[in-house]
Amino acid sequence: MKNNILVIGGGAAGLEAAANLERLGYNIILIERDKQLGGHLAKWDRLFPDGLPAQEVLDSLLDNISNVKCFTETDIQAINILDKSFNAILSNGITVLADAVLMASGFDIFPAAKKEEYGYGIYENVITNQDLEQMFKQQQSISPIPRAIGFVHCVGSRDEKAGNPACSKVCCATAVKQACEVKELYPDADVYCFYMDLRMFGRRYEDLYLKAQKSGVRFIRGRVSEVAQTADNRLLVKAEDTLSSKPVRVNLDMLVLMAGMRPSEAGHKVGIQLNLTTEDDGFFSAKDGMLSLQKSKLPGLFYAGACTGAKTLPDTLHEARSAAMEIDRYIKENFIKK
Amino acid sequence: MITLLISDTFKAVTPEEIIDRYPNSYNHFVLPFVIGIVFIITYLLIGLIRILYHLTPQDRKKLLKSLVTPKTAWKNIKDIVLDCLLHTKIWKRKPLLGYMHSSIAFGWFLLIVLGHIELALFAPRHLSSLSEGSLYYPIFYRFFIWINPAHETLRGALFFFLMDFVLLYILSGIALAMFKRVRSIALGMRHTTKPSLADRVALYSLWAIFPLRLLAEGFTADLSGGSFLTTPVNMLFKTFFGNGLNFMPTWWLYSICLGLFFVAMPFSRYMHILTEPLLILFRNAGLKVRKPRKGFAEAEIYACSSCGLCIDACPMNVQKKNLKYSSVYFIRFLRRHNTRKITEIANKCLMCGKCAAICPVGVDSPAIRRAHRETLNNKTDYDYSYLTNYSPQFATHEQNTPTTSKILYFAGCMSHLTPRIIKSVETILRAAKLDFEFMDKDKGICCGRPLMLAGKTEAALKTIEANRRIIKESGCHTLLVSCPICLKVFKEEYKLSGIRILHYTQLINELIKDSKLHLSKSDSTMVYHDPCELGRGCGIYQEPRTVLNCIGVLKKAKKERDESVCCGYSLGSLTLDEKERTKLAESCVDSLLEEKPESIITACPMCYRAIRSKASVAVKDFAEAVCEHIADK
Repeated sequence: MKNNILVIGGGAAGLEAAANLERLGYNIILIERDKQLGGHLAKWDRLFPDGLPAQEVLDSLLDNISNVKCFTETDIQAINILDKSFNAILSNGITVLADAVLMASGFDIFPAAKKEEYGYGIYENVITNQDLEQMFKQQQSISPIPRAIGFVHCVGSRDEKAGNPACSKVCCATAVKQACEVKELYPDADVYCFYMDLRMFGRRYEDLYLKAQKSGVRFIRGRVSEVAQTADNRLLVKAEDTLSSKPVRVNLDMLVLMAGMRPSEAGHKVGIQLNLTTEDDGFFSAKDGMLSLQKSKLPGLFYAGACTGAKTLPDTLHEARSAAMEIDRYIKENFIKK
Repeated sequence: MITLLISDTFKAVTPEEIIDRYPNSYNHFVLPFVIGIVFIITYLLIGLIRILYHLTPQDRKKLLKSLVTPKTAWKNIKDIVLDCLLHTKIWKRKPLLGYMHSSIAFGWFLLIVLGHIELALFAPRHLSSLSEGSLYYPIFYRFFIWINPAHETLRGALFFFLMDFVLLYILSGIALAMFKRVRSIALGMRHTTKPSLADRVALYSLWAIFPLRLLAEGFTADLSGGSFLTTPVNMLFKTFFGNGLNFMPTWWLYSICLGLFFVAMPFSRYMHILTEPLLILFRNAGLKVRKPRKGFAEAEIYACSSCGLCIDACPMNVQKKNLKYSSVYFIRFLRRHNTRKITEIANKCLMCGKCAAICPVGVDSPAIRRAHRETLNNKTDYDYSYLTNYSPQFATHEQNTPTTSKILYFAGCMSHLTPRIIKSVETILRAAKLDFEFMDKDKGICCGRPLMLAGKTEAALKTIEANRRIIKESGCHTLLVSCPICLKVFKEEYKLSGIRILHYTQLINELIKDSKLHLSKSDSTMVYHDPCELGRGCGIYQEPRTVLNCIGVLKKAKKERDESVCCGYSLGSLTLDEKERTKLAESCVDSLLEEKPESIITACPMCYRAIRSKASVAVKDFAEAVCEHIADK
């Protein structure tokens, strides 16, 4: 008989882990809160650093899970531990008995309206990184043709007052990628990036940064202090340029906020039921931070992806694969008699 | 009044009624008391001279003027009677605690006054000069005299009764005080202070004074007369001891306790009894704390009764470890000149003013903290000279109207960080068809309050001067502000005579009254959070509530008005970290959600941001909430 494994979350981590576990011969039940699988990946247009379409990546992930039982628009209503296995009652009425559980609940995007000084939800032309990806995806153009566009890095990340001192890792590269894309669409527009410091740590990320500079994106090191509306409905952005030690004021037609990563609220609710511990940043704490990144303190419960902190997509996929291996080892040691 | 009546009824004083038992009017046992009283009087005189010396000449003039102005003089008398003797402030908060304080203070005061009247009526000779014992005779009157039983009068008996009655009144207070030491919560205090050594000496001698007086006067009641308390004591002990040998030691002990109390007083919390009247005079004269340890501040420091009511009141007490930042400890360290601790507490404080609002003595410790910060931080690090020539372009809301608008709107930096508020204020002003100019739409100068709070007075005065010039030149008649932090400094430091300074809650209230703004009422429930700077800072509690009652159902918070809990994000604290602030914000929200309202309304951009990030219900700014209910007549 095949052992049941419950995967919580149908984003990149959940899908990749499910595919690998299926290949290893387990019976996978994957649950996803949204209507469609793919998580944030499904909402994105293109990926840094090479501009690979997100849909392509998602499609290949979905191709590998043909035998996985997927329940979309499904939540966990209750989950508890019975002897060695987990008993989960799903919102669609189905009860799942699983020998191992993989938490792949990912992240939520920081609610940018909380940083009210940036005017999200107050001024129409202030949007988030996710909104811009949607616009790209739907090939929606900005009208009238913008003369100037700004990107604010670190919105709700590296910001103690917003409750998140940690770096969200992906926003710098995303902002530079989006700045390039905007510049390509509107070559005459001035594009500004307001950054604290650029964390272009990955392979070819630096090339992306050089490309942006060459295409004329202006990088201003300093935080935006406030955003106001001008009489002609444009935006007046006040910021500090810490390289020239002077305040800057620019008029923009659109401001894009690089909202950071917060722990998933839905994942957090499941965590409470299982008494999973979190670190100060709200993300789940792994058994240890070096050798057992995929394990939790609870035997049989594993983590993959951004539920243990901000991660890039390749990192998430690596974690999903190693989680699959950890789960395989755990099942073999505990459930399969030699 | 009573004494007049009595002296009229019984005019003739028969010399035979009272006979001096000691012809030289002296006995050694009075010595401890005399030493004590001479010590305390000398100490007080020197202290008073020191404090007056450290006042600035203008302040001294102000004080003198207030003493001779009938209005302030009357207020002085009223405040001293109500606060120092009757303790009405404590009565209002905790009746039992109020009874305890007033019974001891007012009772003792009555004993002293009645003692003097009695002496003046029956043996006036002894009040006339020091050699006749005028210093101690009123206190130990019952020891020195012998009542001629053949000539006992009703008048004498009335005094015996009054004295015994007052003594009983005091003893009931002392009993409560002893009980409070053991169980403070019974009298409504969760936390109380730990007494120092001098406090203990003074406290125990104070406790002992009145029971000893009862015993001492009781033992002599057969000689010098007594009433319902002292006579039974006399009879009871007579039957036990059979002789009068217990008589002298008791009077000695009584005198020693009095002496001890007076000597310990300056080093203990009981100094507040004598300093509070001075503080009242200073306060009513309108003086301000200028130095953290001298002059007015010294009066404040010694007026602190160390009661510890501020420990329970301090919003920081949500974390036990922060109990040590309460005002009572701050003042204790000031008395002890412990600079390191003083600085630590002064910098940590939120300056929310709750301790000052509930202080029974009215010690304004945030003012002392600010003065202390000034000694640390008051140097101007930057060149502010560019401010002198700065003049902004006002943004007039209707471009086509000539610039005759008389309302000048100053949003301030915090409102600029919460654009929702500015948008709402503008909408309301437009709905009321008011013409206004926006003083800092594009660029603005800081109101100066954050600098003031940080003790950077010099820098603050520079920004204040620049703004003052702009406001004066604008020719406005009303200055409208949406941030209580700005409001406070505009009112206190700007000296804008002829210009009304209004918070938007006040203006909206007026607009509704004058039927210039019409609002629709809904049945949604809301609670109003009193921002520190608006409520305790500027005394605005009612206007926002009146307006909110026009748009919905107002619920009560657990603590509100002058007891409102700070949101935790006050600019006042220089060292409080984010985690501690979060805890404060959570406790503030808890208090607000007491009656489970559907939304929280506040009227300060700082509170709005703080509460919004922690509350589980909708949080709205006051103007935003009003905006949602604007009706077209």
